[in-house]
Amino acid sequence: MTLGPLLSLLLVLAVAPVLPGIATRTRAFLTGRRGAPVLQLYRDLAKLLRKNVIYSRTTTPVFRLGPIVSLVSILVAATLLPLDGHTALFGFSGDLVAFTGLLGLGRFALVLAGLDTGSSFEGMGASREVTVSAFAEPALLLGLTVLVLATGELSLAGMLGEQLAAAWARTLPSLVLAAAALFMVALAETSRVPVDDPATHLELTMIHEVIILDHSGPELAMILYGQALKLALFGVLVVSAVVPRALLPSGMAALALLGGLVLIAAAVGVVESSMARLRLNRVPQFLVAAGALAVFAVILLLR
Amino acid sequence: MTVLLWAVGLILAGGGGVLLLRRAPRLGERLYGALLVGGGVVGLWPTLAVLRGGPTLRVTLPGSLPGGAWVFGVDPLSAWFLLAVLGVGACAGVFGLGYLAPERGHRPVAAAHALFALLLVALVGVVTAQAMVPFLAAWEVMALSAYLLIMFESEQAAVRRAGFIYIVLTHLSTLALVAMFAALSVHAEGQSFAALAAGNQTPGAVRTLGLVLALAGFGLKAGVVPLHFWLPGAHAAAPSHVSAVLSGVMLKMGIYGLLRVLSLLGAPPPWFGWTLFGLGLGSGVLGVLWALGQHDLKRLLAYHSVENIGIILLGLGVGLLGLAYGQPLVAVLGLTGALLHTLNHALFKSLLFLGAGAVLRATGTRVIDQLGGLGRALPWTALAFGVGSVAIVGLPPLNGFLSEWVIFRGLFVAGGSREVIRFAVMGAAGLGLIGALALACFAKVAGVVFLGNPRSPADASLSPGDPPPNMLAPMLVLAGVCAGIGLMPSLILGPARMVAVSIAPAIDGGAVSAEWGGAAARISAFGLGLVALVGLVLLLRRSLRQGRVAQVAATWGCAMAVPTPRMQYTASSYAAPLLAAFGPLAGIRRHREATAFHSHPVDPVQDVVVVPVWHELERVSLRLRRIQGGRVRWYILSLIFTLLSLLFYLTNSRFAP
Amino acid sequence: MSGLHELLLLCVVLTNFWVLGTTRLSSTIRATAIQGALLAGLPIALHPGWSLHTVGLAAGTFAVKALLLPAFLSWAIREAAVRREIEPLIGFSASMVLGAVAVALSFGIAQRIPLQESNSSLLIPVALATVMVGLLVLTTRNKALTQVVGYLLLENGIYVFGLSQAERVPFLVELGVLLDIFVGIFIMGIVVFHINRAFDSLDSTRLSELKD
Repeated sequence: MTLGPLLSLLLVLAVAPVLPGIATRTRAFLTGRRGAPVLQLYRDLAKLLRKNVIYSRTTTPVFRLGPIVSLVSILVAATLLPLDGHTALFGFSGDLVAFTGLLGLGRFALVLAGLDTGSSFEGMGASREVTVSAFAEPALLLGLTVLVLATGELSLAGMLGEQLAAAWARTLPSLVLAAAALFMVALAETSRVPVDDPATHLELTMIHEVIILDHSGPELAMILYGQALKLALFGVLVVSAVVPRALLPSGMAALALLGGLVLIAAAVGVVESSMARLRLNRVPQFLVAAGALAVFAVILLLR
Repeated sequence: MTVLLWAVGLILAGGGGVLLLRRAPRLGERLYGALLVGGGVVGLWPTLAVLRGGPTLRVTLPGSLPGGAWVFGVDPLSAWFLLAVLGVGACAGVFGLGYLAPERGHRPVAAAHALFALLLVALVGVVTAQAMVPFLAAWEVMALSAYLLIMFESEQAAVRRAGFIYIVLTHLSTLALVAMFAALSVHAEGQSFAALAAGNQTPGAVRTLGLVLALAGFGLKAGVVPLHFWLPGAHAAAPSHVSAVLSGVMLKMGIYGLLRVLSLLGAPPPWFGWTLFGLGLGSGVLGVLWALGQHDLKRLLAYHSVENIGIILLGLGVGLLGLAYGQPLVAVLGLTGALLHTLNHALFKSLLFLGAGAVLRATGTRVIDQLGGLGRALPWTALAFGVGSVAIVGLPPLNGFLSEWVIFRGLFVAGGSREVIRFAVMGAAGLGLIGALALACFAKVAGVVFLGNPRSPADASLSPGDPPPNMLAPMLVLAGVCAGIGLMPSLILGPARMVAVSIAPAIDGGAVSAEWGGAAARISAFGLGLVALVGLVLLLRRSLRQGRVAQVAATWGCAMAVPTPRMQYTASSYAAPLLAAFGPLAGIRRHREATAFHSHPVDPVQDVVVVPVWHELERVSLRLRRIQGGRVRWYILSLIFTLLSLLFYLTNSRFAP
Repeated sequence: MSGLHELLLLCVVLTNFWVLGTTRLSSTIRATAIQGALLAGLPIALHPGWSLHTVGLAAGTFAVKALLLPAFLSWAIREAAVRREIEPLIGFSASMVLGAVAVALSFGIAQRIPLQESNSSLLIPVALATVMVGLLVLTTRNKALTQVVGYLLLENGIYVFGLSQAERVPFLVELGVLLDIFVGIFIMGIVVFHINRAFDSLDSTRLSELKD
C-alpha cells in the first residue's frame, strides 16, 4: 500500500459531493436560471448529520442497515479503482466482477430498505430501479469487457492503468465507444436525465428518489453521499478509458482526474438540460443502445 | 470405502427404524434424525479425505449380480458431489422431521421419512457407481423414490398432474441414458466405467451419438431449457424438505452424469462445448425471466434452479471449449467455476427451500402476494432466507459471488485468445443480465414476503412464529456454510481445482495453482473487510446518535389519510415493468375486463410447444386405434407374423449378428 | 489520412444504429443525410490525390445522398403530415439487438469472403453491415417512408462495397449513384403519392388490404 493510491482515494472522497453541484449548476445555467451553489451538497450533508432521525413503525433493522451497506459497498468499490492512474488501494484478478457485484449489493440493500417501509411509493421505486439496473448491468459489463480485451488485464488497476496507456493508440475507437456506453450507463446508475430526473417533485415520476423517501437524518446523508461517490466512480471509469493517465506523473494524474471529473459532471448537466426524461418503457431501449455501442466496440477488438 | 458403506448402512437403518417404530413416532423420528446425521457425518469423513488428495476408494459387491460386477468407488468427482448429497441430505432430513410432524395423523409420515432415506442412499449410489448397471439401478431407485415423495399430497389434482409429468419425463431421461450406455458399450469390453473409457477414446459416430444422448438424458434430468418444464410443478408439489433435495441435489445428478461421461470420453469436439454454452446462456436468462412472473413461492424457487443450472452449463461449456481449443487456463477456470457453482447452488437453494417450508408452515400459503411482514414474526427464518437470497444473487461476500467470479474469469481469459473461442466473451454480458434479473427477483421475494406489512389477514389456526429448533438448525447451518465459503474461499478452491483436473487430465493444473492462492486470500480479505467496514460504520452511527432518541412515525403516505396494507406493491406489480420489457418471451397471460385485471404466468415451452404437440399426438393415436379390432385372432395373427419375420431375418439376412 | 477512412466507416455504423434506435422520422432522415455526407468523404479519404474524378464523385455523392434525397424525403413528410414511427414489428429494443448481431455477423462473414483487401479492412464489413441493417429496417418498419430510408441504407451499403472494388470495375460507383437518384425518385414519387392518394394514409400495414 503506497501513499499515492491512498491520497488519491481521500481526494476523490473529499471532492465527490462537488460533482452533483456542478451538474445542477450547469443545467440551471443552460436553462437560464442561477441554480443552487456548487458546494450545496456539503451543506446539506452537514445539516443532515446534525438532525435527528424518524423511523417508520413498519420498518425492521433492515431499514437501518440499508443505507450503511449501500455506502460501504460504494466505498469498497472505490478502493478497487486506480485513482492515481497506476495502482489501486486493493485489487485482485477479476475484481471488475467485484465492482459490479458491490454496486449490486448497494442496490439490493436500498431496495430492501425501501420495501421494508410497506409503502406503495417505495415499492414502485424498487420495481423501476431493478428494471433499469437489469438493462444497465449487461451494458456496464460490455463496456468493461472492451477494457479487458484492449489491455488483456483482468483487474481494474491493470485495465485502467499502465497497460491501457500502452494500448491506447491502437484501440482508441473502441475506447471512445466504450466510454460513451459507460457514460450512458452512468446516467442510468446515478439516476440522471434521461433515465430519472433528480429535480422532480412528483413521486409517481421518480425512480431513485422515491426509494429513499422515508430515510432521514444521517441515513439520508449516507445515501446522498453514496450517490455522489457513485457519480465520481463512473466519472473515473469514463475519464480513465479516454485519457491515458498512466503516462503522467502521479501529481499530474490526480489533477487530470479532477479536471476530468469536473468535465464529466458538466457534461451530465449539459445532457440534463438538453434532453427530456424518457418515458419509462423507453429506458430499456436507451440502455440497449448503450449495450449495442459497447458490442460494436467489442467486435472491433475481436476481429 | 467401508466407512462409506457404514454411513449408507446407518442411513438405511434410520429409514427402517422410523418405519418399524411408526406406532411410537417421537422415538422413531428421534432415532431417524440421529442416524441420518450420524450417517452424514460418518460419510463425510472419507469424502473429505479423498478431496484432500487421498487415494480413490473402491469396492466390488460380492456375489453374482445381474450385469457383471457391481463396482462402487469414490474418486474426486464422486467425492465432490457426495459433499452435496450428504450435507444437504442430512440437513433436509432433519428439517423434514419438524416439517411433517403436524401431518402425523392423517398422512403416511413414517413412510415419507423412510422413502427420504432411500432417496439419499440412491443418490449416494448414483454418485459412487463405477459400472453401467449399478448406475442405472441407483438412477431408477432415485427417480422412483422421488416420485413417491412428490406424490405425498396426492389428493390435490395439481400434485397428481405434476407427478405425472415428472414420472414421464424422468423415464424419458432413463431411456436416453440406457441408449447412451448401449452406444458406448459397442466398442467396449465390459460393463465398468473403466472399460467404457478404454473403448471410446477415438472420435467417431458412436462416440458422437453417445455425447448427444448423454446431453439429452442428463440435460433433461438437470432441467435445461427446453426440457425443464417438469421441474416447476414437481418441485412445488413436493414437501419442502424434499424440494430442497430435489433442487439442490437431484438436479446435480444430471451435471454429475455429464461430467462423468466427459471424464470417460476425454475432450469433446468444439460443437459440444458451444452447444452447452448456448444452452447454459438460454436456460439462465429464460429461467430467471420466468421465475420473475411466478406467484407461487416454490415454483419461483424451482425456476431459479433452472437459471442456476444454466450458469453451471455456461461454465462447463466454457471449460469444454477451453479443452477443445487448447486453452488450459480457460478449461480449468470454466470447469472449476461449474463445480463450485454446483456445490454453492446445492447449499443456498436448499436453504431457500427450507425457508419457504418454514413460511408455509407458519402461514399456510405459498402465494407470495398474500404474504408480508413475516420478518417480525419469524426473525431467524428471515435471516437465513436473507443470507440465501444474497448468496443466490451472487453478491459479495457470499459463496455465489465466488463461483460467478471464477466463471467470469474463464470468459474473460477466453476473450483474450486468438482462436474462435474468443467470441465466448459475449457470455459475460449474458451472465451480467442473469445476475441483474436474479437481483430483481430476490429483492422482490425477500422484500414482499418478509418485509412490509401482511397483505392478507393471518390464519388464526397457525402459529406465526419461528419454527422449532429441528427446523431452524439446518437452515442456520446451511447459511453458516454459505457465509463460510464466501469469506474463506481457499477452503474449496483447491479441492474444486483438483476435481476439475481429475476430469480432464490434459490440463496442466500447476500453471493455475499459483494464481489461485493469491486471489483466494485477497477475496477473503475483501469479504472480511466489507463486513468489518459495515460494522465500523454501524458503530460510528450509534455513537453519532448518543443522547438522541429516534422518533417513530407512520410511513409517509403522501397525504393518503388511511393507508392500508393492501396498498403495498404486490410481487406481480413489482415484476410487471421488467416482464413487459421482454414482451411475449416472459410468458405472462393478461386478461382485461371492464372492472377486473388478471395475469398469470405460463411456461412458454410447455404451453406453446409441448401441450399442442401432445394433443396432436393424441389425435393421431386415436385415429390409429382402428388397428385394434378387438378380435383375439387378429392379435394372434400379428404375433405369428412378427415371429416369422424375425426367424426369416435371423436365418437369412446378411445383417444377422 | 490513413485513419480518416476508418473513422468515416465507424461513423457510418453509428448512423446505422441511430436509424435503428430513433422513433422520429425526421431523425431517421437526418441520419441518412449525415451518412450520405460521410460516404461522400470516403473516396477522397481512400485515394489521397485530389484528382478531378475523385472530387467530382465526392461532390456528386454529397449532392445526391446528403442534400437532394433527404430534402425530398422531408418534403414528402410535410406533404403527408406524418411525424412519428409507431412501434415496429419487433420492437425498438429488439431491432437494436438485431442490428448489433448484424454488425457482428458481417464482421465475421467478411473475414471469410476471398476478396483482395486493397484499401481498408473495414470496407467490406461495414458494407455488409449497412446492407443488413437496411434490410432489417425495410422488413420490420411499418411506415412506407421509413422503408424508403431502409432502402437508402441498402443502397449506401452497396455503394461502400462498390468503393472497395472500384479498381477492378471502373465507373461502378458512379453507376451506383446514378441508380440511387433514379430509383430513389422513382420509388418515392410513385409510392408515396399513389399510396397517399389511394388510401389516405402511408401506413404500409394497410397495404395488405390490396389482396381483397
